[in-house]
Amino acid sequence: MTKHDPLSPVRLTLGPVLFNWRPEKLRDFYFRMADEADVDSVCVGEVVCSKRTPFFAPFVAEVVDRLHAAGKEVVLSSLALIMTEREAAQARELAQMDGVLVEANDVSVASMMAGRPFVAGPLLNIYNEGTLAYLRDLGAVRACLPAELPGPVIGTLAKTGGVEIEVQCFGRLPLAISARCYHARSRNLAKDGCQYVCAEDPDGMDVDTLDDEAFLAVNGTQTMSYHYLGLLAELGALRGLGVNRFRLWPHNVDMVAVAGLLRSVADGLVEPEDAALRLSELCPKAEFANGYFHGREGHRLIEADA
Amino acid sequence: MIRPELICPAGTPAALKSAVDSGADCVYVGFRDETNARNFPGLNFSRKELEEGIAYAHARGAKVLVAINTFPRAGHPQLWQAAVDDSARLGADAVILADIGLIDYAARTHPELRLHLSVQAAASNPQAIAFYAERFGVKRVVLPRVLTVPEIAAINRAVAPVETEVFVFGGLCVMAEGRCALSSYATGQSPNMNGVCSPASHVRYVESGRGITSQLAGFTINQFGLNEPAGYPTLCKGRFNAAGKTSYLFEEPTSLNTLAMLPDLINAGVAAFKIEGRQRGRAYVAAVVQAFRQSVDAVMAGRPLPDINLDSITEGGRQTTGAYEKAWR
Amino acid sequence: MMEGPNRAGQSKPMIPPFSPVLLLGLALRPVRPALLQPVFDHLLKVVRSRHPDILERLEVYGERSVCIDPIDLPFALILEPDPTNPRLTVRRFVDSDEVHATIRGPLETLIALAEGRMDGDALFFSRQLVVEGDTEVVVALRNAIDGAGIDLVADLTAALGPLAQPARRAAGAVMDLVSSLRGSVETVRQSFIAPALQGAASRDARLAELEAEVKALRKATRRGGVA
Repeated sequence: MTKHDPLSPVRLTLGPVLFNWRPEKLRDFYFRMADEADVDSVCVGEVVCSKRTPFFAPFVAEVVDRLHAAGKEVVLSSLALIMTEREAAQARELAQMDGVLVEANDVSVASMMAGRPFVAGPLLNIYNEGTLAYLRDLGAVRACLPAELPGPVIGTLAKTGGVEIEVQCFGRLPLAISARCYHARSRNLAKDGCQYVCAEDPDGMDVDTLDDEAFLAVNGTQTMSYHYLGLLAELGALRGLGVNRFRLWPHNVDMVAVAGLLRSVADGLVEPEDAALRLSELCPKAEFANGYFHGREGHRLIEADA
Repeated sequence: MIRPELICPAGTPAALKSAVDSGADCVYVGFRDETNARNFPGLNFSRKELEEGIAYAHARGAKVLVAINTFPRAGHPQLWQAAVDDSARLGADAVILADIGLIDYAARTHPELRLHLSVQAAASNPQAIAFYAERFGVKRVVLPRVLTVPEIAAINRAVAPVETEVFVFGGLCVMAEGRCALSSYATGQSPNMNGVCSPASHVRYVESGRGITSQLAGFTINQFGLNEPAGYPTLCKGRFNAAGKTSYLFEEPTSLNTLAMLPDLINAGVAAFKIEGRQRGRAYVAAVVQAFRQSVDAVMAGRPLPDINLDSITEGGRQTTGAYEKAWR
Repeated sequence: MMEGPNRAGQSKPMIPPFSPVLLLGLALRPVRPALLQPVFDHLLKVVRSRHPDILERLEVYGERSVCIDPIDLPFALILEPDPTNPRLTVRRFVDSDEVHATIRGPLETLIALAEGRMDGDALFFSRQLVVEGDTEVVVALRNAIDGAGIDLVADLTAALGPLAQPARRAAGAVMDLVSSLRGSVETVRQSFIAPALQGAASRDARLAELEAEVKALRKATRRGGVA
């Protein structure tokens, strides 16, 4: 296996929960992550739909405290699509918080953070070194890159310097965001009267083609991949490119075990092939893909070189 | 009341002439490469064609805007920077950009060049718009097709004197523009990086028992019966199975048409009306530009809106006012 | 049903036209395609000299051939857009396997498309045109031709010198006739093809049943845990 610079230990980030989980379930999930998960950073906050925000708001403080107490870095993630004054006010409030790192998923939030350290989130369009350098100079200390970037682009961005690069490596990929709610639409409801039907699908709603081929997933106003991203064999190559921080998107599976597995592979302690089998056991309903990293269609699963 | 400019599409020199002759205030075009979001086969302008097009438009009092609205490839910004340089050199009236790094380059290298923010940057709130206006001197922002008319009016009050431009007709993105990777997930070709959504190279029409099946990269996007109007297999306008039923989950094959709500958009303080369709033929350009020219002129003169039917050139023969009305969401 | 080139099992535009062009097609049936070839050689030569930008726009698609199939005429054309040696060949039969793509529609529609008088997307949306095979080259061809501002009648007559004006008038008269006769012929067309469509409907129903069965089986296999 590839040898890595021992001075650059692997860091794992648990991304924000993108789905609409019941507030108590979400709180208990974070408590368990604080107590048991081998991750360095944990993102908290509603990214997809501002209608969901009020339900978890009462729990945020105790979740942040518990994560801090467990020695985790806490990152508060912003909404991805900010359209109304109410959403903008929510973002301003977020940008003024002390003691936590803010993850900007909309340019407006990055703009509010100007001059202070922040994380450039995976829903910002960072495709090249010019944009990355501009955001770094604005205050970005870390950038989680968009899902569709191929390996060589990740490598180029990792050489920019002065900003830590984070790469998504597990979970359904956030592919698009809209003003329209497809979960509500699938039930013939309008977004205004959505009855929070997105809560019925804790890992998103499967979307098949007319041939019943699994294709996409819907999470309220967000469209995701049907396949789960599973970068295992690629972790060595990514570390070779200078990437040492990896993001896991939370799913309704044993995320403590998933995080442990990812770290073992990134540290070179478990062979990727063995890890792939174990990951399939941990996520029995998931099909995995890694095409984007290899410059291919995102849904493809490219086998590791023999 | 601001008199909105009519911003019209041209994929070829013939379409540019057609747009100018039909009453366009501005024509927007792209170079024949991946620097713009309509990088379609056989489409777009060479440097020479742009130069001639600008001469034709300027001689008739119209402006030419150049869309350079994809995101430069890491390690290879030269193609995009050259597109900005050449647009400035050839006398384009503005460039339409989306990438922060490229906007920064344009603002530093060509301080006299007028900058518009592309819809692909999806600046959907006053703070995002202020970011581009204050830091780079962007003069106009094309708003993403996710906002209602009252939201647009509120943005205009907050961002003036920065101008806003909205889409009034044509193909409708249902996702926030520039923030959608559905096409690259299916085809490997990214709208943001390669300038193509649902690229023709990955499209197949296949005969089935009851009509035509349209496929994108092997995924069935739709099926049409013998007498059903067909559509191009744009991913978000397909029929899918979800929640136990078959439906147009994201959007029907439909075209945005705001002719009837032009007075509302003018009252909302919008500075420019944009017609989508650089990939459409010059017959489309002429028909739509004429319809909107007449309608805008009528509203500004206090006359009633003319009754113009554009059914024959809309996708699936269906029309929508899209996100401009809240019920769409 | 009356058909031109080999179209068995191929998809057709939504309205199978029974138009005056079709009558012209019937009249042309006994004519060997080879006799028509010089007309198309000439057409290509004229278009090439008057609109050099068409082939320039098609440069990267030079090796992809396209069948242009006017369904109301008893022959079809194969366009090979090689920028150095383009060819437009007229043939009685064209097999879809021989070409990279096929565009199929009534002659009137194809001419309107070539001249940019009708919008290609609109024609396709309304099923007046059918596209098969390599969609990319068809889109490129459409864009290139639309961008050139072709006027086929003008292009053809331009090369005729002093005969141009009478030829232009004659061509215009034919197209006018075609348009004016369309309405009355439509009635005849309906009575001809209605019975055929009914037979097709029952076959399609059976096919639909079979498709549903295959789909169910496929779904069962996939969901059955084959990860």
